Amino acid sequence: MSDPRAFLAFDLGAATSSAALIGRLAHRWRLLGSLALPAPIEPDVLAREVIRRAVAADHGMARAIGLASGNGTGAAAPIATMPPQLIARSIAPQTMVVCAATERAREPYLAAARMTGWRTRSAILDGSDPLRLIAALLAAEVDVVLVGAGDPPGPDERQHVEELAAVVTGAVARRPELTVILAGAMSDHLGRIEAAGGGDRRGEILLGPAASAGDPPGSALRELLDDVRGGPNDPRRAAGRAASALADVLDRRIELIEIGFDGGLRASASPAVGGADPRTTVSIVADAGLVPIDPGDETVDRVMAWTTLSLDRHRLRDRLRELRISPWGGIAGDGARLRLAAARAALAILVEATPEQSALPAPDLLIVAGGAFAAAPGPAIALAAADVVRRPGAVALAYDHARLLGPLGMIPDGGERRQALSDLADDVLTPLGSVVIPGGIRAGTSAGRLTVHAGIGASETDLVPGGLELVDLPPGEVATAEFQFRDMVRLGTRGHRFAVDVSGGLGGLLVDLRDVPLRLPERAERRRELLEAWQESLWTTRDR
Amino acid sequence: MTSRRMTTDRTPADRYAPEAGLDLVHRRAVLDGPIEVNFRLAPGDRPLVSAGDAIVPGAQIAERLRDPRVVELPPGVTDDGARVGDRWTAPDQPGTRFRRGSATGAGELLYEHGGHWAIAGGDHQEPLDSPLAGVVRDVRPGIGIRVQAQGRVLRGVEALGDPTSGRLSLGSDRGDHRHPAGGLRSTSLDVGLAGTILVIGSRVDAEALTRARAMGVRGVIVSGLAGKERRDFQGSEARQRAALHRLPPFAVLVLDGAHRRPIAGPVAAVLEGLVGSTVAIVIDPPALVFDEPGLELTPPPAGHIRVRSGEHAGREGHWAGLAGMRRFAGGTFLEAGWVAFGGEAPVAVPLADLERFV
Repeated sequence: MSDPRAFLAFDLGAATSSAALIGRLAHRWRLLGSLALPAPIEPDVLAREVIRRAVAADHGMARAIGLASGNGTGAAAPIATMPPQLIARSIAPQTMVVCAATERAREPYLAAARMTGWRTRSAILDGSDPLRLIAALLAAEVDVVLVGAGDPPGPDERQHVEELAAVVTGAVARRPELTVILAGAMSDHLGRIEAAGGGDRRGEILLGPAASAGDPPGSALRELLDDVRGGPNDPRRAAGRAASALADVLDRRIELIEIGFDGGLRASASPAVGGADPRTTVSIVADAGLVPIDPGDETVDRVMAWTTLSLDRHRLRDRLRELRISPWGGIAGDGARLRLAAARAALAILVEATPEQSALPAPDLLIVAGGAFAAAPGPAIALAAADVVRRPGAVALAYDHARLLGPLGMIPDGGERRQALSDLADDVLTPLGSVVIPGGIRAGTSAGRLTVHAGIGASETDLVPGGLELVDLPPGEVATAEFQFRDMVRLGTRGHRFAVDVSGGLGGLLVDLRDVPLRLPERAERRRELLEAWQESLWTTRDR
Repeated sequence: MTSRRMTTDRTPADRYAPEAGLDLVHRRAVLDGPIEVNFRLAPGDRPLVSAGDAIVPGAQIAERLRDPRVVELPPGVTDDGARVGDRWTAPDQPGTRFRRGSATGAGELLYEHGGHWAIAGGDHQEPLDSPLAGVVRDVRPGIGIRVQAQGRVLRGVEALGDPTSGRLSLGSDRGDHRHPAGGLRSTSLDVGLAGTILVIGSRVDAEALTRARAMGVRGVIVSGLAGKERRDFQGSEARQRAALHRLPPFAVLVLDGAHRRPIAGPVAAVLEGLVGSTVAIVIDPPALVFDEPGLELTPPPAGHIRVRSGEHAGREGHWAGLAGMRRFAGGTFLEAGWVAFGGEAPVAVPLADLERFV
């Protein structure tokens, strides 16, 4: 950026469009206001409303950063100039067909595609009707075909690889615009597939590594699939860069979890150590969107497991279909709770799809982001994260309320990006509180005691196994939580006594003594009651 | 506590220009311009038109295979220049031995493998007719036929069944498709409705859809279709496709979603204007297409608002300005706008639940 005194950051997602106004005050960038509304909405309209509100709220400040002229005050004040804009615009979801000779050969390729943001379909040749494979390749919504085989092909694949290449060649001849990735031993068939489209060929043919290539295994293929899907301009990829920069700026291990309309993101970032670059792992999972296009039985089951609404399967399916058609519609009433149940289900998909990141030590700070959480109060978001992302440890929670991480990640220069995040970190991240999840709690009447030493004094709480203990700790407050457990538990290390520094937030300190992973009752009624009881204490604004 | 009514002496209009903030409300186009319609083809289906052809409603544009299967031909029974997508017909000499699949007299070349071709063949064909007039833009064997449709378009959120056409009729039981309770009961259908596309109010069940098809009705336009009815209807469709004697094509166009709500006023006005006209329902994209150049439609007044979802779903009123962030039922805080329903005082409604028509 040159030298503006204010700029607008847009996150234009599939379901939500948001604008944040950022101004330079007292030699640092500050977030002055933000607005999120259902997409599609013209960025200009959104920008004018955000600026209008800023000008109405503080005309002097608006004049100082060049947003308002000297004439008029309040809502009637004219906008002097439209500030520069930083835009993160979601890439339209793309579909990839992953095909291989056998199911065994297909699996690692399918897993790589799922973790790089592709909507996936799959097909195999062995034992199935070739017409199905051809129909999958010819479907209009398919953009890319990944044809994979082992390198060298396994004994079960060898007899089918030739025919697979022939089938793909036939499909490519009909759809010359298809991008084809030949991975592993399938790259031996490049010449044949290249010739298929004749002179009319418009799509690329790429040679990819085998599913197991790279360090760690699979990383080489994932990198390629990521590039093909959108590369650095993908806002989710940009949010991953922002998480990396934030880890560096805050010198903390950060995990960013985002659930959007068409997919989810999980980025795990560690700060740079000893002059080395920060380490960041980014997974983008298309299946972890709020609601799939056509919510089937599996989706209904997943959401049903988290909902506190008393709905039968048919009605829940209808609500989910409506949510897909109009993701912001009907939030008032029980709509926000349904949305959060769908967000939990999506979060669970994201966590299941990224076991390598789940195996990492718990981060210092977990940032929750995405339109799926936009209508929920902060404490309820904290509980949703604690319900699904469960690792023994103590984690601070924050929420990207202004949807700024994506746009800030789009700043091309790494130094400028870090500087912007350094200035804005406190404004961007709404503190939700801290969650402490001890591992290995045994059933019983008492698990031990907790003493919280905060600036305003100390409080003592009895720890009940299987329960949630909520300690009021407002945003900005820092405290020391002293745990004395009856049995040996895991909290970073194994032990009976722990002292943990915790920070406050909208949800305060949440001591989560439930199972890891969380086990919910099978009976729907009992499960709903339990979820309701947990949410009751944290959804503080709901009607009673 | 749900939505809030204004109780101050100052009306929103005193504080904002009446249209202020209206551009933050989702825009819904009542009618769209000409569109390209896709008729999907599967491998083995035979297109009967070429790019550039002008077609009229009812023209057969393809022959669909009902029972496609892969058949592997013996070597040497195809031309040297054979290409994927070409038609293959069996040579007149008897005794051709097929390598895989049962014998077929004709088919479409799929792929060449090991010196011989595989084709998609079958025994039963059925016609695919275009329900609309237009110009063929693209023909891709095994993929689809794209047609630039002539006329205007009313879009829906989903269409089920097969492309169809018929005479538009208002078919609601109550005679009021604008009413939230407007629906269609299976007992109210009779053969007199054969050949029509029925406009139904807020919802319809699978039994009524199945009976409508059996009575010769060509299609149904409905505001909402519940998931259970949708699934039952799709099951019925699949059984119908498998039957030897198929009924004429039948389609369901869903305008809004899965919930019960009346058809939006401006949309209902278009449908009322089309009564008696021949219209088409297409599946991809889901839409009603009609070619009635003489039909003049008055656009809804600026500021006309419909509540799409939430507590006031289906109600229509007038925009009365931005309400800012408001607390709503369930303890959620949402950006809202003031909407005046009839002569009532304006009510704050979440912006996300509103739509306006252009």
